[in-house]
This record gives sequence, C-alpha cells and structure tokens, in this order.
Amino acid sequence: MKELYDYRTMIASLVKRDLIGRYKKSVLGFLWSFIDPLLQLLIYTFLFSVILKTDIPAFHICLFVTLVPWLLISSCLTGGCMSVIGQQEMLKKIYFPREILPISFVTAQFVNMVLSFVVVFVILAVSGYGFHLPALLTLPVIMIIEFILALGLTLLCSAVTVYFRDMQQILAALSLLLMYASPIVYTLDFVSENIRKFYMWNPITRILVAYRDILYYKKFPDAINIFWGIVESIIILIIGMLVFRKLSKNFAEEL
Amino acid sequence: MEQGNAIEVKNISKSYKIYYDKSNTLKDKVLFKNRSHYEEREILQDLSFSVKKGEAVGLIGHNGCGKSTTLKLLTRIIYPNKGEIQTEGRVSSLLELGAGFHPDMTGRENIYINASIFGLNKKEIDSRINEIIKFSELEEFIDNPVRTYSSGMYMRLAFSVAINVNADILLIDEILAVGDSNFQLKCAKKMQELKRAGITIVIVSHSMGQIEELCDRCIWLDKGKIVAEGTPQYVHKLYLEFMGQVRTERSEKERQLAEEAKNLELSIPKVECKNNKGESRVAFEIGEDINITLHYKIKKPRNVSVQFTVFRSDYMMCYDSRTDAQKQKVLLKGEGVMQLQLKSVQLLLGHYMIDFAFYTEEGHLINSFERICQFDVYNETTEKGMFRMNHEWNF
Repeated sequence: MKELYDYRTMIASLVKRDLIGRYKKSVLGFLWSFIDPLLQLLIYTFLFSVILKTDIPAFHICLFVTLVPWLLISSCLTGGCMSVIGQQEMLKKIYFPREILPISFVTAQFVNMVLSFVVVFVILAVSGYGFHLPALLTLPVIMIIEFILALGLTLLCSAVTVYFRDMQQILAALSLLLMYASPIVYTLDFVSENIRKFYMWNPITRILVAYRDILYYKKFPDAINIFWGIVESIIILIIGMLVFRKLSKNFAEEL
Repeated sequence: MEQGNAIEVKNISKSYKIYYDKSNTLKDKVLFKNRSHYEEREILQDLSFSVKKGEAVGLIGHNGCGKSTTLKLLTRIIYPNKGEIQTEGRVSSLLELGAGFHPDMTGRENIYINASIFGLNKKEIDSRINEIIKFSELEEFIDNPVRTYSSGMYMRLAFSVAINVNADILLIDEILAVGDSNFQLKCAKKMQELKRAGITIVIVSHSMGQIEELCDRCIWLDKGKIVAEGTPQYVHKLYLEFMGQVRTERSEKERQLAEEAKNLELSIPKVECKNNKGESRVAFEIGEDINITLHYKIKKPRNVSVQFTVFRSDYMMCYDSRTDAQKQKVLLKGEGVMQLQLKSVQLLLGHYMIDFAFYTEEGHLINSFERICQFDVYNETTEKGMFRMNHEWNF
C-alpha cells in the first residue's frame, strides 16, 4: 500500500498517457470521449422509444443516466482484462508494483466517465429536466463506490486473463449479458417481485439504481441499497486484490 | 540484513518450467488437463552472496549460467522458488530502456512517464529534468514527439533517464552500446561517477575489460552456482583458462576432421601453446613467453616461407611477419614440428588469435590456417589498451 503511494506519479502519468495518447492523432481528439456515449444513447433511444415504443417517460434521460456509468463497468470488463497483458514488454523488463496497471486503467476510464457526466448535466439542464440539488451532493459517493467495484473487477479479470486467455472472450459475452441483467434499458418496475430478491444482489444494479434515483427520479438514493452496494463492492475489491497479489508473482514468467 | 549490506541473497533456487507446447486456452485446459508436457529446468541452485553498500560487483559466466536470471531476481521481475533476497534502497535497472514511451508524446512528456515508472515522484523528476535533458544532448528536440527521433536519439533519451534516476542500487545487463563513441565515453564516465557517489552496482557482462574497469569484485557463475569469487583480475584469470580449455577441445576436433577430409598438401593437425616451463596453457600473463608448436604434415618436401599474423578478438591486427622478409629459408619434409617463440609478450588483457600462412619460394600461397592458435592474455595491473608501452617517468 505504501509502495503504491510512492508510485503515485507513475499512476498519474500512465493515466495521462492513456487519456492524451489515445486521441493524439485523431481529428476530433478528446471530443470522442463525448461522442461515443452520445452515439450509444441515440441508438438505444431510437430502438426503444421509436421501434419498441416504451412507455417510460423521458426515456432518453432514464437511459442516459445509467448508460454512462455502465460504460465504465463494461470497458473495465472487456478492456481492463487486457491491462496487464497489454503492457507485457514493460512488465517483463522492469519492476514496479503490478497493481499500477489495472489501477491506472480504471482511473483513466473513470476520468472519462466523469467527463461524460458533463454531457449528462448539459442535457439535463438544456432539456429543462432539471436537478434535485441536495440529492446531487450524494452523487460523488456513488461514483466512488462504482470506482471501487470497477477496480475490484479489473484486478480480478486482468490477473486471471494472463493465465487464461479465453477470459477475454468470456468477459465480452458476460458484459453483454450483464447489460441486460441490469436496469439500463428498462426500470426496476419491469422486474417482478420474486426475481427481484436475487436481482438486487448484483452490485452493478445497486449502483445504477442509485444513479437513477438521484438524476432521473430526482430523489435521495435508498440508504440500505447504498450500504449493501458499498459492502459488496469492497468485498469484490478485496477478492480482486488478493487474487491479483497471488497471481502477479509469476506474471513475468507466464507472459 | 547485516549492517552495511545493500543486497543479500540467501540460498535462492530458481527453476523455469519449459513447456513443449504451451497453451492457455479453455479447450486445452479442459480437454488436455494432464497433457501439459513440461520440463523443469533448474537455473540457480542454492545461490548465496551479498553486496556491500557502494560496492561494484561483476557477474560473469558463459551463456545460460544464470547470471541474467540472478539480475532479474534482484529487480523483482521474477521471484525465487526458494530462499530470499533482500535489498536496501531504490533499485534501478538498465535492463529495459524507454519503458512506457509513447511515440506521439514529446521527449519531455516521455521523460516524466519513464522516470515515474522507476518510482520517482513529480518533484523528484522536476529537479532532475534539466540534468536528464542535458545528458541526452537533445535540447533542441526535447519538445518534439518521440516518433520523430532517430533510434539513436531514442536510446540516448531513454538511457539518460535510466542513469539519472539516482538509484541506490544500479543493475546493468551488458553495458549498452548507445549512441556514438562520444556518448559511450560519457556513459562510462557517468558510471565511474555514480560509483564514486557510493551507488551499489551489479553488472553482468561478457566484457572482462568493462568489469575490471568498474568493479571491485567479480563472481563467476556456472550452472547456477558460484565457481569463483574475488578481485576481477583473479577471477578473470581462472575464467579465461577454463573457457580456453573448453574452446580448444572443441576446435581441435573440428580442425582435424576438416583437414583429413580435404587431404591437403600441407596440414597442421596439432597446435600447442606452452609457457616456459613446458606447461600447456590457454591464458598467459603479460610478459610471459608463449611457445607455440605446430605439428605439420607435408606431401612432398618443399622450401616455404611462413607468415604469422596476430589478431585481437575484435580483428584488430596486432602484428604480422613473414620468414622470407628476413631471408630465412625453411625446408619442410614429411612430418615434423616447427616452433614459434613469442618472447615476453607485451599484449594487454584480451583474447588473441594467430593465423598462419605458408607460401612457396615464388610467393604463391600453399595453404593458410586461420585462427588455429588462440590464447588469452591477462594483466594483474590496471594498465589498459592493446599493448604495454615500456615507459619511464622522470620528475
């Protein structure tokens, strides 16, 4: 832990390299961080409000406030699993705490999500949908819980993928499955009572529900839900850290 | 850890699993669970040594003896199967240069990324950046993207960062040939400077010269064990003798076979190198006589002239001479021996090779024998260069 703190500059510079380096030579550059979620929003809105004619009011808002946080989780599952393998040249030649690779990946994605929230706020303000300001103050807490969950998942996936390359494909499929198993293109009301008992144990659901409460229903999120969200996320982070620590000893030999 | 030690290696063993057909996919793991064939190759066996603070230690040994593995273990890239390694202070290695460089970012931005991977924080980098840029001699280009650099510039930048991180322990795998000769000289100077500044250095090299120049102590590894340890001069003498023996045994056989097959008019089936006491040697101390005996076979008796040329291992010609230049007549018949005595050899540390060539009286080449005689020379003094210049100071 102390060592990770000593290497904080490395985390910062890898995050910076990731964010700046990604769009360095593209014409639209950083704008892509905003365009990507907007395009997905357009597609889903078209699909669900024009073709499937959902009766959820202000569907695009309902969708967008969960889609943006979901994209973070999804990129951590599908891209985060490659965060160690992708840097194998560095890993085989030089020592640094291996945790830095997944940590900086998640941090870069997280910064991206926070920037996407700028778009969310702009849409909420411009469309006249408005905010519930006191509830908005709890938003950073939800974001931090999501960061913990995303980090736990990335640590776990990236370490396992080194030993077991199929993980990448499995996670891509799993991510699609999880998207529909979480309240993103629909609301909790669509989930029947007897399923909901199991349904709610998904920590991603707990986090998305909290986002939706704050921004879409404009109310304070449910405290019990948040409590369990924190507990579940921390458990996943601890598992991720332990597995990563155990597996990271042999990374250089496995790659 | 003992007081005053920078590195302590205690009874470490390391083995690699060498897979015959390695696969990490689901199909193979499930279906062929027990079919993973591998061989356990032991690289290091119960190795122990320690390095004092401020000491410079060289590791030598032929390929596959475990010296690079030892270095990797010290950097904590890999971990031993048994035993433990303790180090004190920041460890930096010149194993990987330019880690994390992004081609589209400027030299300056990349210095920050690269240095941060060595564990420096922003403040530390800020205080060193000017020194790093100055050392790399890239002042003009430092704000251009790295992809516009030539490979030499790229390496110079990477090297400048690695050497300026102010580590307490510096690990080097083969001093790198970076940049032009001026820059290399600068690197060598910087190494000396770091050593004087009290930095602990562990270096793996095949160049005995580099180790003698820099190190206080040398460790010779073979098959994962320490064979000898001591001053570089002492260890190198033992090592050169050992390596020479291995080499002559091998080349002797090859040559015999080749010559028998060719059925040459003139052949030299055997060459011996001896010192004045008549003992066979492959390494000599400076100032010793080297007695070379050539056993020859010739089909019909002939007057010939003989040429011998001495090369250093880098093919620098050191000396060349022909018997006919001295109006010396040589008659060879049947089988016999000829002897060449090199008196009080003044060559300095290095590996040397001799070519012999035989000419008819008219000057036509009969046959030449390349590098059939090889030997090493060592000196226990600190002199450097190619040969000893006899000199005298008067004050």
